[in-house]
Formats: sequence, C-alpha cells, structure tokens
Amino acid sequence: MGQSRTLQVAASLGAILAWIVIWAWLTRPGGPVPTLYFPAPDDVWAKFVRMWQRPYIGSTLPNHILASLYIVLTGWGLAALVGIPLGIAMAWWKRLKWIVFPTFQLIRPVPPLAWIPLTILWLGIGDSARISVVFIAALVPWLMNSMLAVYSIDRLLLDAAKTLGANDHQILTRVVCRTALPTLVAAARMALGSAWSTLVAAEILAATAGLGYVAVNASQLLDTDVLLVAMFMIGILGIGMTGLIGLTQNWLAPWSVLGARRD
Amino acid sequence: MEQSAGKMTSGITDPAPESPAKLELCNISKWFGPEGEGVHAVDDCSIEVKKGEFIVVVGPSGCGKSTLMTVGAGLEEPTHGEVLVDGKPAGPPGPTRSVVFQKFALFPSETVEQNIKFGLQMTGVSATEQETRLAEQLKIMGLEQFRRSYPSELSGGMQQRVAIARALVMQPEILLMDEPFGALDAQTRTILQEEVQRLHREMHYTVLFITHSVEEAVYLGDRVVVMTRRPGRIKRVIDLPRDVAWKTGDIELAAEHPEFIEFRREIWGLVREEIVSI
Repeated sequence: MGQSRTLQVAASLGAILAWIVIWAWLTRPGGPVPTLYFPAPDDVWAKFVRMWQRPYIGSTLPNHILASLYIVLTGWGLAALVGIPLGIAMAWWKRLKWIVFPTFQLIRPVPPLAWIPLTILWLGIGDSARISVVFIAALVPWLMNSMLAVYSIDRLLLDAAKTLGANDHQILTRVVCRTALPTLVAAARMALGSAWSTLVAAEILAATAGLGYVAVNASQLLDTDVLLVAMFMIGILGIGMTGLIGLTQNWLAPWSVLGARRD
Repeated sequence: MEQSAGKMTSGITDPAPESPAKLELCNISKWFGPEGEGVHAVDDCSIEVKKGEFIVVVGPSGCGKSTLMTVGAGLEEPTHGEVLVDGKPAGPPGPTRSVVFQKFALFPSETVEQNIKFGLQMTGVSATEQETRLAEQLKIMGLEQFRRSYPSELSGGMQQRVAIARALVMQPEILLMDEPFGALDAQTRTILQEEVQRLHREMHYTVLFITHSVEEAVYLGDRVVVMTRRPGRIKRVIDLPRDVAWKTGDIELAAEHPEFIEFRREIWGLVREEIVSI
C-alpha cells in the first residue's frame, strides 16, 4: 500500500516535470513557439515573483488573489446558508418542495453567467454584482445535493429512531442532519467548483481587481506571461480549496472516511 | 420424550393462563397500495404474546411476516385490525416496543456508545442514569472495548450486538426482532442465538421474533406461529416445551435432542407445504 502510494506520487510529479521540460524545449530561444504567444517557464516564474512584489493593474498578486477569494468565499458561503437549510427542508417537508421547487427548476437551466448582464444593470460592476453571480452559481449545487443528502438516508434509520422514542424534530436534527454530513461535504466541493469557475468569468466581464481581471487585461496588453501566471494561480487555488474541503470531512464526519470494516 | 407428541397441538392454545396478554395483534390485514388492487401482504392474522413469552413467527420468504412486525411496532398502520399493548391501543412507535432490525439500522454517524444511548437521550433519561445503563449493556453484550468505534468499523455480528444493546437499554416491555440474525454468518448466528436464549431466560423479556429458520424457531420459541405464503395467514400455532434442559444449553446439542428433531420435522413440514405448493 505504502509502496504504490509513493509510486503514484512519483509518477504524478514526473508527469508535471515532463510537461515543464517539453514547455521549456518548445519555447527555447530559436524554438518553434514564439515567446509572444507562449513565454518560457523561467520568464513566467520571473513574472510571478515580480507580480508578487509590485502592483500589476492596480494591485499586487496577493491582493488580486485576496480579491478573488473574498468574492468566491462570500458568494459560496451565503449560498450555503440558503441552500443547505432550504435543500434539507424541501426534502423533509414535501409541501415546501411543491411550492419552491418549480421556481427553482425554472431558474436552474439559466447559466450563472447569463445573470451577469442583469446584475451589472442592478448592482454595477462592484463586489456585490460578482458576489450575486457566484451566489447563484453555488446555490444550485448546494441545494440539489442537500436534498439528495436527505433522500439518500436509509429509511430504516428513521424507523429505528422512531422506535427509540425520537420525535420528528429530534429525528431531523440528530439523525437526518448528521447522517447527511458526508454528502454535504461533497456538495461543498461541487458548489465551490461551480463558484470558482463562474467568478473568473465574472471578473473578465466586470471587475476592478482579481485573477480573472488580471487575465483579461494581460490578454489585451499582450502580457502573455502575466496571463499564464493568472491561469496557474486560478488552477492552484482551485486545487487548494478543494483539498481543504476534503480535510474538513475528516473532522466533520470521521465515520465516513474510515477504512473497510474488519471482520 | 413421551410428552412431546402430546405437546404438539394445533390451533391457538393457552400454555400459561396465569400471564396476561402483553402484545396482541388482532385480526391484522395489510394491503400495500389500494385495497383489492395493491399487494395483499397479511390477511387476518391474530397473535397474542403473553408477558414473558417468546413467540417466534416462521414462514416462507415474502409471506408478510416482516410486515406483521412493522405493524406490531407501530411503524405501519394496518389496513384492518388493531394492535393492543396491555389491552389498550398501542399507538405510535416508541420505546415500550423496542425493535431489532435484520439490517441493524445503526446510526452511522454515532459511535457504539452514542448509538446505545440514543433512545435514552431522546426520552430524557438523566445523564447519570444513561451512563449506568450504558455500562450495563456494554458489559452484557461484550462491547466494552468497542465503545468508541463507529458501526462501519465493526463486523456484522458486533453491529447486531450493538443494535440489541440499543433496544435492551430502553428496558422495553416488548422486544420485536425482525430476522435479527438473517444477515450474519453461521458461527456468529449460533453465538447470538444462544445469547438471546440466555437473555430471555434470565430477564424474562416478552419477545416477538420473526425468522425463516426452523431451527432458530424451535430453539428459541415458547410458541411457534407458522404462516402461509402471501397473503400471510396463520397456518398453525405450535406450543414448544419450556424449561427443558435442551433449550438452555448450546444450540448444537439441542439440535441432537429427539424432541428438537421431532418439532423441527413437524414445523419444517408445515413451512415446506407453503413453499412447494406454489
């Protein structure tokens, strides 16, 4: 087990290293790819270090990152505050679902980006417009998966709780919400993925700071190295946030990450 | 030995007239879906469980015996008939009728001790009393070293021990067991059958036990109710000897006793009629 894990890490790192070597070879001086379109890895690294220290279009790289994180985490968090309780409540009280779900079904097929023109009209190009768009993007996966989390609970557990004297309220808070936790962690991951990809697009259309804003400006200014730095940061932050959510499962729902039962 | 033939009686008899009826299923019929169109699971079944009595219901798969259990527990409403506890309508499910399910039904997010204490917390038992009763059950069921484990870390046999402890800790007046050993391997099943036999002998629980195993029925039951195939009706009620030596020992010794063999043969004959006559 340990050996294959080491092998896996080595293979993954090796693959990434291979890509960088191919990239460096293609973009070498006199190589087949002109550096205007695709700068060499060492140039991108140098630009990264420079952007970390000095402002690019108004802010340093850490401040662009913080601007993006602020929007994505606020929108994602607000969507959680609405989506989790509403999703659980809709799965628990059929009548509420009958009332809310049709409206939700109508809104669902509208891509989050299609909300951008409306939010710009209402809220301008400030933070609140982008938070709203991210909120909408994250709400759908939060709500759908919270509903699914309740539906996927074995009915037998509810029967068992009833025979042990639990009332409906106790069943909801003690059995349903706790049993749903691992699925809610998965919901968090999907909602964050949706929020993050939407944010970058929203920043391209309407922003004054942030990684998407950096990317679109760099493209217009032919700063291809800056564009690559921004794209790498978008990818790395996405991985990092998903990884953090994975870790929360260990302490929120430790029973769900245990190995197979021993007999 | 010479008594055995005499004790094999047909129809409902009253082996212990001094004990009052604890749980009564009166003329229970159950349809799933609209009556006359849906599935007719149980038809006009009446079973009386006296205080301290161990009643086993056997029948072919799909005969509605589990339905009888869910109705008895109050988890399903019967289409016709009623369930009485101490002669009064039983009402919604609750801890006077504890249930042990075939698939354990442990809460996956709770440790062994949290699972066992669940019902005590739901019904407002004091914290010190919770700890006392928990400690007692952990000891009885041999779960002390697993108290902080989650169900997913335990074998099937250990999980069912937790489920039994969770039911017994409520000090139920009636224990309903729905094929509790059906999902276990043969060795674990034997051990748990002997433990349930011992618990019943020592604590005098009132038990309604569902199984498809004729051996289990003969070993554990004071009376055995044989059901027909669906829609389940009561085919025969057979009184078994109580307080005989072979019932208090190991099941494999019991299974060699001529009386056991005779009862097993008779009951299996009744069940087989229902299976082969389809």
